[in-house]
Amino acid sequence: MSASYVCPMHPEVTSDTPGACPKCGMDLVPKAEAGKHAHHGHHAQHRHGHHTAPAAEPKGPYTCPMHPEVTSDTPGACPKCGMDLVPQAEAGKHAHSGHGSHKHHAHTAAQEGQGGQAAHGAHRQQDAHSEHHGHAGHGAAPDIPGIEPHFMSMVELTEGKPVSPDGLVMEWVDVPFGPFFPGLPGGLQLDLTLDGDSVAGAEVRGMETAALPSGMGLDDLADRLADAVPLSPIAMRELACRAAEKATGQTAPKDALAARAAAVERERVASHLNWLAGVARQMGLASLARRATALQHRVRTADADAVAEQASAITSLMQGALNRSPMGPKLTGIGTLLGASEGPVARSAGHASDARHGDAVYSGLGFEPITHNDGDAMARLHQRRAEIDQSLDLIAAAGVIAMPEMPRATGDGHGMATLETPRGPATLHLTLKGGTVASAHLTTPFAALAAHVPELIKQMELADALTAIGSLDLDPWSASP
Amino acid sequence: MSIAVILLALAVGCYAVAVLEGWAVHGRLSLTRPAISALALLGREQILPRTSDRLFFESGPVLLLVAGLLSVAVIPLAPGLIITDLAIGALFLNAALAYVLVALIMAGWGPNGAYGMIGGWRFLGQFVAYAMLIVMPITAVAMRAESLSTTQIVLSQAALWNIAYQPIGFVLFVIAAMGVAWLPPIDLPTGGGDLAGGVEAEYTGARLAVLRLARLVIIVALASATVTFYLGGWLGPWLPGWVWTALKTLAVAAGMLALGSRLPRLREAKYLELSWKLGITLALANIFLVGVIALVVPI
Repeated sequence: MSASYVCPMHPEVTSDTPGACPKCGMDLVPKAEAGKHAHHGHHAQHRHGHHTAPAAEPKGPYTCPMHPEVTSDTPGACPKCGMDLVPQAEAGKHAHSGHGSHKHHAHTAAQEGQGGQAAHGAHRQQDAHSEHHGHAGHGAAPDIPGIEPHFMSMVELTEGKPVSPDGLVMEWVDVPFGPFFPGLPGGLQLDLTLDGDSVAGAEVRGMETAALPSGMGLDDLADRLADAVPLSPIAMRELACRAAEKATGQTAPKDALAARAAAVERERVASHLNWLAGVARQMGLASLARRATALQHRVRTADADAVAEQASAITSLMQGALNRSPMGPKLTGIGTLLGASEGPVARSAGHASDARHGDAVYSGLGFEPITHNDGDAMARLHQRRAEIDQSLDLIAAAGVIAMPEMPRATGDGHGMATLETPRGPATLHLTLKGGTVASAHLTTPFAALAAHVPELIKQMELADALTAIGSLDLDPWSASP
Repeated sequence: MSIAVILLALAVGCYAVAVLEGWAVHGRLSLTRPAISALALLGREQILPRTSDRLFFESGPVLLLVAGLLSVAVIPLAPGLIITDLAIGALFLNAALAYVLVALIMAGWGPNGAYGMIGGWRFLGQFVAYAMLIVMPITAVAMRAESLSTTQIVLSQAALWNIAYQPIGFVLFVIAAMGVAWLPPIDLPTGGGDLAGGVEAEYTGARLAVLRLARLVIIVALASATVTFYLGGWLGPWLPGWVWTALKTLAVAAGMLALGSRLPRLREAKYLELSWKLGITLALANIFLVGVIALVVPI
């Protein structure tokens, strides 16, 4: 026996030097320490000599099947769990300690001088057992919080499986969610490693990006961007328009700019309503989902007056979502994300980061960024409700809604524009050559936000994890050159 | 004869509940939709998932249907119109409903899919929550009737329905019943938003039709059990008894469905916490109160 370090979970893993177990990654412990758990073990004599009174030392012929440290000379109930004490012969079946030899055990029994008959029975069974398990035995179970020490069958069943922080050992499963999952935005691919029904690991992917070929006209670019990001097509058109105006050096009159901003704001109202519908559907609020979807459809193409007519219905729907239906307990404290840097998610955590801030057109309409503090899913609901009200005010201030008109493209140029889409800032770099698009590069808020997801939902219960992801309003659609 | 009448009534009831569910979930009251859906399901391809546990996969939905039918057997539609008037009817109902758990775990395990498996095991957690709250309110109902026979229980409410006599028990029983029938907001095993159908996810075609039919039978069984235990069963003026039972059952089912579409899905842990910490305390208080009232006021 040269090896002096052993894995507390895998007694067959031994080493001369300290280090990590290759099977489970736990730190190897000195053999004597590992032996402490293996009561009745073949180090018993050794321990008597060098350690002070190990707690788990059998004193009598009766012991508890669950608590080996409980021993008694007479039959009775275990003071810890109330189970009937069993003769040690039977207990030995559970807490066998592998490679002790018959002779050695006989020695131990004789030394303790008690219950020779019962102990003798134990040896035979233990020996029979150790033929099956030719290693140091499962008696070496470590004291994992939540697991009874020496609960051998559990350890045997789950040997080699990873241990989750709650101490439960289960078989982990990899489950794909999306790209067509009813509770998540279409196109979002979420691969979860589930430990029971809690999330042990996550991977998030967006869509394959749609291609933006070079050589197309500006109108074509706007159409393609709008198609590539179907959840916010108007914002994409406006973004293309602004980048094109920068590249060609043209400017639109102030009124037209305000009307175009109003179109983006109208889309924000519709988008936030659509988000609410999705979150409601995810948590089984069928009637709220239905009403939010219906309103969203009505708003999406309405003119300024029609939007103003719907304003009270929208406000009361959002108010109802916050007050009447008990979403609070479902959302409060879920998915707290303070590290996001942009978009409504960052604003709901107190970062006043908004691409509209400082924009001359928006300043003219009286824009001020709104923030909330908690940064959890409930704060995101509050944030989006406040943003809907704000957008309705901005539309009212603009008075007219107009779609962006792409400027005439002439000659060469480079333009860059950033626009606050409903989900955060999108940036377009545009290079024109001879009146056509030489290159266009779009950045959407998706990647930055999705990067937070794995850390965000770690160890959450599955339903809560999906609620947290739903509350982020991820849009996996994008376009690239 | 009464078996045929009750099965016919059950079929009509299931269809009506399907119509009501369409109204609660989609906001449309369509009389033909469930028939079209059922025909569509029967005509559709039946996919057998790879490496499925064939025995569990095939028998889960059937066992669910059997459990629902067995529980209906002890519900009286009208005086004398009952499949079997067992002396221990209320207990038998519990015993039959216990198989809902077994069937759902089998159906969840069988297809060898993660959504179904999680759904099935979730229902085990749900079972731990609702189990006591189905039994304890029935105890108080049986105390008043001095019988476990469902017919006797209805007759005991001649002077005053149990909903007024023991309102706490009524509320607890309805919540537990919604748990048994995995109705929203306690639809943890199927949870559309987080499990994409869960236990139902891997079922297609006729097997899915059986699964859905079984669920409708269980909803009708629990709604009619609520009527029997708390709403005076067939008792009522002017109309024949069976009409009262039918109307009350549909009203209870509609109420449960409407409530479900307005509440967010409960967390399993939350349901468990509410059921045990609050529910069982209230159920014990209910038994005590009913005991005192039964001793003091003879109604």
